[in-house]
Amino acid sequence: MESMDFKTSQAGTLESMDCLVTVTGPSDVRIIEVSGGSASRFRTAIELKVNEVLDGMGCDAGVRVTVQDNGAFGVVLGARVEAAFARYRGGALS
Amino acid sequence: MELNAVHREIPPRIDGYGDTSGKLFEGAFARHPSGYRSGARMRSFTPNSGSKLSGSIKDAIKASGLKSGMTISFHHHLRNGDYVVNQVIKSCAELGIGDLTIFPTALFEVHKGIIPYIKSGVVSRIMGSVNGAIGRLVSEGGLGSPVVLRSHGGRPRAVISGDVHIDVAFIAAPTADRAGNISGQMGSAACGSIGYAFTDAEYADVVVAITDNLQSYPISPVSISGIFVDLVAVTDFIGDPAGIVSGTTRVTRDPLRLLIAKYASRLIEASPYFMDGISFQTGAGGIPLAVTSFMREAMKRRDIRASFGLGGITGYFVDLMKEGLVQKLMDVQSFDLEAARSIASNPDHIEISADWYANPWNCGAAVNMLDVVILGATEVDVDFNANVNTEADGALLHGIGGHQDTAAGAKLTIIAQPLTRGRIPCVVDRVHTVTTPGDVVDAIVTEFGVTINPKRIDLLDACVDFAASREIPLIPMDELAAKAKSMCGAMEPIRTTDRVVAIVEWRDGTVIDIVRQLEKQVS
Amino acid sequence: MRRTMLYLPGNNPNMLLRGHLFEPDGLVIDLEDSVSAGEKDSARILVRDVLRGGEFGNCEVTVRINAADTDHWRNDVGAVVPCGVAGLRVPKVENPQMVRDIDEEISAVEARSAIEPGSVKIFCLLETAMGVWNAFDIAKASPRVTAILPGGEDLAADLRTSRSREGTELEWIRRMIIVAARAAGVDALDTVYPHVNDDEGLEREVGFIKQLGYDGKSVIHPNQIPVIHAVFNPTEKEIQTARRIVDAAAEAASRGLGAVSLDGRMIDAPVIRRARYTLMRAGLSTDLEMKG
Repeated sequence: MESMDFKTSQAGTLESMDCLVTVTGPSDVRIIEVSGGSASRFRTAIELKVNEVLDGMGCDAGVRVTVQDNGAFGVVLGARVEAAFARYRGGALS
Repeated sequence: MELNAVHREIPPRIDGYGDTSGKLFEGAFARHPSGYRSGARMRSFTPNSGSKLSGSIKDAIKASGLKSGMTISFHHHLRNGDYVVNQVIKSCAELGIGDLTIFPTALFEVHKGIIPYIKSGVVSRIMGSVNGAIGRLVSEGGLGSPVVLRSHGGRPRAVISGDVHIDVAFIAAPTADRAGNISGQMGSAACGSIGYAFTDAEYADVVVAITDNLQSYPISPVSISGIFVDLVAVTDFIGDPAGIVSGTTRVTRDPLRLLIAKYASRLIEASPYFMDGISFQTGAGGIPLAVTSFMREAMKRRDIRASFGLGGITGYFVDLMKEGLVQKLMDVQSFDLEAARSIASNPDHIEISADWYANPWNCGAAVNMLDVVILGATEVDVDFNANVNTEADGALLHGIGGHQDTAAGAKLTIIAQPLTRGRIPCVVDRVHTVTTPGDVVDAIVTEFGVTINPKRIDLLDACVDFAASREIPLIPMDELAAKAKSMCGAMEPIRTTDRVVAIVEWRDGTVIDIVRQLEKQVS
Repeated sequence: MRRTMLYLPGNNPNMLLRGHLFEPDGLVIDLEDSVSAGEKDSARILVRDVLRGGEFGNCEVTVRINAADTDHWRNDVGAVVPCGVAGLRVPKVENPQMVRDIDEEISAVEARSAIEPGSVKIFCLLETAMGVWNAFDIAKASPRVTAILPGGEDLAADLRTSRSREGTELEWIRRMIIVAARAAGVDALDTVYPHVNDDEGLEREVGFIKQLGYDGKSVIHPNQIPVIHAVFNPTEKEIQTARRIVDAAAEAASRGLGAVSLDGRMIDAPVIRRARYTLMRAGLSTDLEMKG
């Protein structure tokens, strides 16, 4: 059982070409917030990637995902979201 | 809407700029001047005219006859250390003068000090580069009239041809005398060359020298003669020496920049221009300086000496001249103290005006003698058009500088930059703003290798021959663009309104592109 | 060729994505020392995804996993082997049994992820006196072993000394390892030169290990790559001589002659082999018939 306590987990860094992903919950719905370098031109792509990774990991509970971007490519963003959510869930890593 | 020669839609009329018909960009060398140069007001100075020393900046503004609605000009040799622009605008506000057009050769971050005066209407129009906070303000519609962006050569052309008339030129003078002779080579705000101020001094109705180092008459050497100068104002400090120095003279250790610089220097070495007497301009950035250091090795190895280095000059270039690898320096802007010291002491280090440097409408600007130039860009497109004016989010971020002029003048124009900045691709299908047309860009160099403009088959052949012994990775433009796209993904479009906030003029005064106001960000 | 094997910190996207651009012969993506204990999970995911992307130019891609005395190494193997790496660099190898344990784990992962059995190689880092002493047995412990390498800091500590710029403490170890490697038929690769701004010191050290017979060196900074290649690359004169030797040998062979002479000197098999190796290092031939 997931704990219903308020939890927060992070993965990634604010170094160049990386991003810092923070997962907080529980939340009523899934909320995705994007800020930083690529936000102006890649917001939709970033949101799609976050959803794709969370859905792939079977995340059906509401969480708030904050992406502070410093120029991460999709492959890096995906890895950071996976790591952050795995830590949030506290389960085994894929 | 009409399309210009780089396929940009230009409105027939732009509020605050005027009609564009007959002013559409037609090609890099399409337009030629006719008629006569415009002139400045004639004036005399007799033994009874009294003193040019006018006291404070405010006193000088009063004496100059400056009125609301006029155009005033500044040079940017004090770069981010400049105190003069902010002081003059503040004084104008205090004197109740407003609705001014300012016509700087460039503005820097330090000049965000004028933002309150833009908002209060003291400054209503800017003709010159805007960046940082002012660029953001303009991009979001904070200025009544559109900004007009001109290159370092296009600006003196605009003055000399009469496109722009300067009512009062305020010239920051690191050293001056009571007759208004000016030098940039001495004083606590010494900046070396003051080449950008020459045309303003010659063509403005009233010229005010502002100095913090008044010396006895006559000073020597003299850069701008007192025959052009009406008034001399004295203030405590015209600039902060720490902000005057820009660029770096230390070659970067950043491996990515070094890699790009290595490819660029191999391209130069492979080109037909790498021979005794080569000339080049490399500026002060990390990659260009590293290119210069690789070229230094190559010149030594192949026993070649350069005839001259052009443009903004750094201490690194001064060292090349001392080593005998470069014979002369033609300096429109000295980037550091070593360059400033050299121009003051070495007759082979020549101070040149922006007119001499880059004006397309005189009898021979120095850029036309140039073999190789290394430039950067925020983005380049598949037609080799380069954008140096707007950032990825569409905001105005940089002036044109000498980009257009050197690209048009040099035999080999190289744009050297990483393929991506963070996730933002630097090679795209269509640049947001065309600063320099692809016609005058010969090669793009990235960390993936050298991409040659297909127009330059000769260059391609030279690289292929050269590649046999010292490799140059060649990557065609379509492949490079595809690579950028696959790495970064598709970008969302920049959302703009219809309102034009900036006009980008080609160096001949035609409109090569316009910049539209950004839509308010919804967050 | 393994002249240069560039380490890339496993939790650094910038280097992971760009390392191959500097054209080292190989990459060593690091999950061990450059990744802090709290970031092992995150780095493993990142490395796995970057490996899946597969953009590494012509580099031989290897991963340095965590040591056998940690909780991490099996997860490391499980994460990266299915992504198609050429090899694993294993730290702190002390005895043949450790190699056999790793081999077994790799085989299991290869089997369940449809990777060709035996294709993933092992690079053994000998970072203790015991590991160095057992160098030959370690190199022979599995057909997967393709290279052995001396350690740097850890080895110095185990020897109860410190690293010096001259490498006095490694002198005998480097000689021992080249002999063990050649006897076992694997590559000998050197440890990193940690002073990244000292190109002259690097050049000296590479000159020394090249003369000992080493195949290459681990690299800590991309700017070291051209310096090392310059030492390993044959000179123009060496290339010309090698080409003439190879041509003369080929002509003799086509005429059915066993022995051949060039410039009055007999050219025998070892000379021809060395000439071929020279051309290979110059990137002019991939045809290296080392068994001659």
